[in-house]
Amino acid sequence: MTFRSKLFVNFMLALLLSVALVTAGVTVATRRAFDELNRQHTDALVEQFQREFDRRGHDVLHRVQGIAEAEPTVRMAIDLSRPNADISVYVNDAHGVAQSHQLDFLDFVGTDGSIISSAEWSARFGYKMEWVTQKEDWASRGSFLMRLDTQEGPALALMAVAAVRVGDKDLYVVGGERLGKEFLASLVLPENMRALLYLNLDTAFQPANVIDSAGSVAEAERFEPIIERERAHPSALTEKINWTFDAASGEIFHAIPKLGRQNELLGVLLIGNSQRTVVTLERHILWLAIGVAAIGILFGLFLSWWAAARVTLPVRKLAAGAREVSDGNWNTRVAVRGNDEIGQLAQSFNQMTQELVDQRERLIQAERVAAWREVARRLAHELKNPLFPLQTTVENLQRASTQNPDQFEEVFRESTGILLAEIENLKTIVGRFSDFAKMPQPELGPVDLNDIVRNVVKLFEAQFCAVGRPPITPELHLGENLPTIQADNTLLHRAIENLVLNAMDAMPAGGILMMRTAQNNGNVDFEISDTGVGLTREEADRIFTPYYTTKQHGTGLGLAIVQAIVADHSGRISVESEMGVGTAFHLELPVKPPHHPNQTAPVVVAQDEKKEED
Amino acid sequence: MKLRLCLYLAAISAVLLAALPSHTARRPRYGGTLRVELGATVSSLDPKVAAANPEEANAKAELDALLYDHRGDDGAFVGAAGSGAFRVSEWDAGKRAVFAANENYREGRPFVDSVEMQMGRSAHDRVLDLELNKTDFAQIPAEQARQAADHGVRVSTSQPNELLALVFLRAGPGTETARVREAISRSIDRTAIVNFILQKEGEPAGGLLPQWSSGTAFLFSTQAAVHNAKEIQAQISTSPKLVLGYDSADTLEQTVAERIVVNAKEAGISLTSRVIPSKPAHGTDIRPGDAVHVDARLIRLRMPSPLPNVSLAAFIDKLGPMAGIVDSPLPESASPEDIYYCERSIMNSGLVVPIVWMPQVYGISARVRDWKQPAAGETWPLADVWLDSTDAH
Repeated sequence: MTFRSKLFVNFMLALLLSVALVTAGVTVATRRAFDELNRQHTDALVEQFQREFDRRGHDVLHRVQGIAEAEPTVRMAIDLSRPNADISVYVNDAHGVAQSHQLDFLDFVGTDGSIISSAEWSARFGYKMEWVTQKEDWASRGSFLMRLDTQEGPALALMAVAAVRVGDKDLYVVGGERLGKEFLASLVLPENMRALLYLNLDTAFQPANVIDSAGSVAEAERFEPIIERERAHPSALTEKINWTFDAASGEIFHAIPKLGRQNELLGVLLIGNSQRTVVTLERHILWLAIGVAAIGILFGLFLSWWAAARVTLPVRKLAAGAREVSDGNWNTRVAVRGNDEIGQLAQSFNQMTQELVDQRERLIQAERVAAWREVARRLAHELKNPLFPLQTTVENLQRASTQNPDQFEEVFRESTGILLAEIENLKTIVGRFSDFAKMPQPELGPVDLNDIVRNVVKLFEAQFCAVGRPPITPELHLGENLPTIQADNTLLHRAIENLVLNAMDAMPAGGILMMRTAQNNGNVDFEISDTGVGLTREEADRIFTPYYTTKQHGTGLGLAIVQAIVADHSGRISVESEMGVGTAFHLELPVKPPHHPNQTAPVVVAQDEKKEED
Repeated sequence: MKLRLCLYLAAISAVLLAALPSHTARRPRYGGTLRVELGATVSSLDPKVAAANPEEANAKAELDALLYDHRGDDGAFVGAAGSGAFRVSEWDAGKRAVFAANENYREGRPFVDSVEMQMGRSAHDRVLDLELNKTDFAQIPAEQARQAADHGVRVSTSQPNELLALVFLRAGPGTETARVREAISRSIDRTAIVNFILQKEGEPAGGLLPQWSSGTAFLFSTQAAVHNAKEIQAQISTSPKLVLGYDSADTLEQTVAERIVVNAKEAGISLTSRVIPSKPAHGTDIRPGDAVHVDARLIRLRMPSPLPNVSLAAFIDKLGPMAGIVDSPLPESASPEDIYYCERSIMNSGLVVPIVWMPQVYGISARVRDWKQPAAGETWPLADVWLDSTDAH
C-alpha cells in the first residue's frame, strides 16, 4: 500500500468516525426530544382523562341527586315511610327513571337496604344492598368506582348515592354509568393514541377484560405483565409493547390504576401512544442524516484524496527521484518547495545525489588513473621484453663494430635478424592493443549459434589433439531447433574463439571442454566450461577487466573483448569457477537485440582508447 | 200539607231514582258495535288451517265460539260457518275482523249488532286503549291488571286458572340431578314473584292444581327455603351449569325466569336464562337436542276445565312428552285422593316445579253490560253482553 493510500485511508477513517459520531449524536438527541414531547403529550392526555373522569363523576352525582329530589321519588319515599307500605308497586319504576336520566344503573333501595326496584337487574327486587346503608355522608362522598353484579356478569360502574329521608326512614337512590367501551368511545383522543380499560373483575388476569371503544382487544394477553404489576402495586407506570418486530409497531402504554371506595383495584386505564409516527419521523431524520453523512463522506473522500495527493506529491517526487538514482540517473533532482520537513528532505536528497555524482566523478577519475597505470604497466611489461633484446643486440653491434670489425658482418647479420624478430614482436603487441581499441560495431544478421560453435570446434580440432600436449576432449550439447539470432557472425566467432583459447590455457594437463546451447525465454544461452585449475574469487571478479590476466604471457584483453562483444549484442556474460574443478562461462544473447548498444562497462577503456586515437 | 208532603216525597223519589246507577236501572238493549282488541293475530278462520302459536290458537278458539254453533265431543267447535251468534262481515287476515250479529241464531240474536276486532295489539296498547275508552273489551296481562285498575280501567279477574311452571326437559337420571332440581325448587321465592312481578294478581303454586279446584293445594309447600337449597347444593359434588329457557315473546316468562336465576344464584346454583323461539301452537314444545339447548323452561298451563281430574289429565298429557313423565291416566271417576296422589307423584319427581297461578284478566269498558267472567275452559260470552247507550264512546 502506498504512502498516499495509507494517508487516504487514515483520512477516511477519521472522517467516517466523525460522521458516525455526529449521526449518532443527532439521532440520540432527536429521540430524546421526541420522547420528551411524547411524554408531555401523554401527560396532557392522562390529565384530560382524569378531568373527564371527574366530570363524569360529577355528572352522575348530579343526575342521581336530581332523581332523589324529583317529586315521584319524594312521593315514593313518603309512601314507603308509612307502616305496611306496599313496595311492590314500585318494582318497575327504576327502569323508566334510569332511561329518562340516561343512567346505566339505578336502584331504589329501602331503608333496610332492600332493593325496591332495579333498572339493570329488575329481578333483584327484595335483595339487600347493604353497603348503601352503611353510615356514610353520601352527599359529600361524591361519585366513586364500583364493581356491580349484573345479569350479564360483573361490571365496572361510576356510581353515586343520594338519600331521601322521610321521618326516620331513608330511601336510597343508587345510580351510575357503566365504565366500559361507551365511556372509552366518549373520550376525545388525538391521533395515534387510544384508551383501553382493564376491568379488574376476576381473581386472575383475563384477556377478555381488556376493552377498548370497540369492545374486545386483540392480543390482550400482552397486557398481562402490566396488569399483574398493577394488581400487585397499584401505581401509575409506563410500559412499551412492540406488537411486531418492527419498531414502528411499538406502543407506549401509561397505566393508571382506578380504585374503589375501599382503595381496591377495580380497573386500569391504559393510554396507548403509538410510536409509528415518532419512529417514522426518527427514521426520516436518520435517513436525512445518513444522506447528509453520505454527501459529507463523498466530499470528504474527494478532499482526502486531494489532500493525500497534495501532501504526498513531494514524497512521491522524492521516491521517483530515488528510483531514478537507483536506475543510474544520478543527475536526478527534485524541486524544492517551502522550508518544511518535506522541503528539507528534498534539499537533502538533492545534496545527496550531487554528492553521489561528485563521488562517481572522482571514482571514475581514480579508475581512469588506475587504468592508465595498468595500461602503462602492461605496456611497460610487454614492451620491456622485446626492448631488452633490441638494446643488447644494438649494443652487441656497436661492440662488434669497434672491437671485432672482422666479425661485424656476421654479427650484423645475426643482429638484424634478431632486431627484425623483436620489432615484429613489438608490432604484434601494438597490433593487439590496436585491435582492442578498434573494436568494430557489430553488423547484425541472422546467425546460427550452433554453426558458429561447430566451426570454432572444427578450427581447434587439431590443437585439441596436438602432439606433445595432453588431449582436450570437446563435448557439444547443442540445442535442437535453436532460433537464429540477430548478431554479427564474425564477432561472435571471435568471442567464442577467445573463450575456447582461454579454456585451453586453463587446461594445460588436458580435460574436457563442454559447450552447450539452449533456448531460454526469447534468448539463446551459450555455456562453455572446462575442467581446468579454476579461478580464485578475486580472479573471477576481475577476469573481464582489460589487461588483467593470470597468465604469464597474456595481454589480459581476450575476455575483455568477449565481454565487449556480448555487451554490443545486448547480452550478458557471467562466470562461475571453483578452484581445482573448473570454470564455466555463461552467455545470454537476445534473439533480437532491442537497440544497438554502444556503451558497456569495458567501453570506458575502449572510449578512452578511441579518445586517444582521436 | 199532605199534598206538599206528597210532592216532596215525589220529588225525593224522582231524585233518588235519577241517582240510582243507570245499569241497574236499564234493561238490555240491542244494537251497537262491540270493539274488541286481541293480542294475537289470526291468519285464517278455516278450521283446517293450524294456528302458528298458542296465542293464535286461543284467539282463534274465541272467534270460533262466536261463529260456530256449539262444541263437539272433542271440544272443537262444530257446525256450519255462520251458524253461531255472529257471521263474518269483514275479514282482513291478521289485522281486523268485523262479525255481524246472526239474526237467525238458534239461541236468539245477540244484543250487539256487530263485533269489531283489532288483532295484533300489544298489551301496552290494549291497556292504553282501555284507559282512553278506545275499545270495549280486551284481555290484559295479569301483571298489568293492578296498574290498569289504578288508571281507571274496569277490570274483570277470573280465579287463578293458568299455571306458570318450570319444567326440566327430560332430565338425566341420578340423584345428583334430582337434588339440583330440588335445590332450584326450594330456592324460588314464589311469594315475591306474585307480589312484585304479578303485582299480587295470582297465587304461589305448590302443586299442579289450584286450591279452588282441587282443595289440596295447601298440602304443597310454596315457601322459599334458601337455606335448605344451599345445604342441598353443598352436598352436590359436581354442580352442573343449567340453562333456563323462556319464550321470546313472553315478557312475564322472561321476568320470572330472571328472578328464578337470581334466587338460584343466591343459593349457589349455577343457572342462567336464555331466550328460546316462541313455542308452536301444536306439538310438545321445545325438547332437548333442539337448536337452542336448554335444560329447563318455563311454560304456561291453562286449565281446560274447573274439574281437577280433567285439568290434571290435560297437564299430564302436555308435560309428559316434555319432561318424560309417565303416569297412568286418571279415570273420570277419580277421587280427590287419587288426584292428590297423582299430583304428589309428579311433584316428587321434581321434573315440574310450579311457580305461580295466574288469573285471566279482562279490561271492559264502562258501557259493556252483563259481562260474566268465563269459567276455566269457557270462551268469552260476547254474545250475551249488551252496550249501554248512555256510555257512548
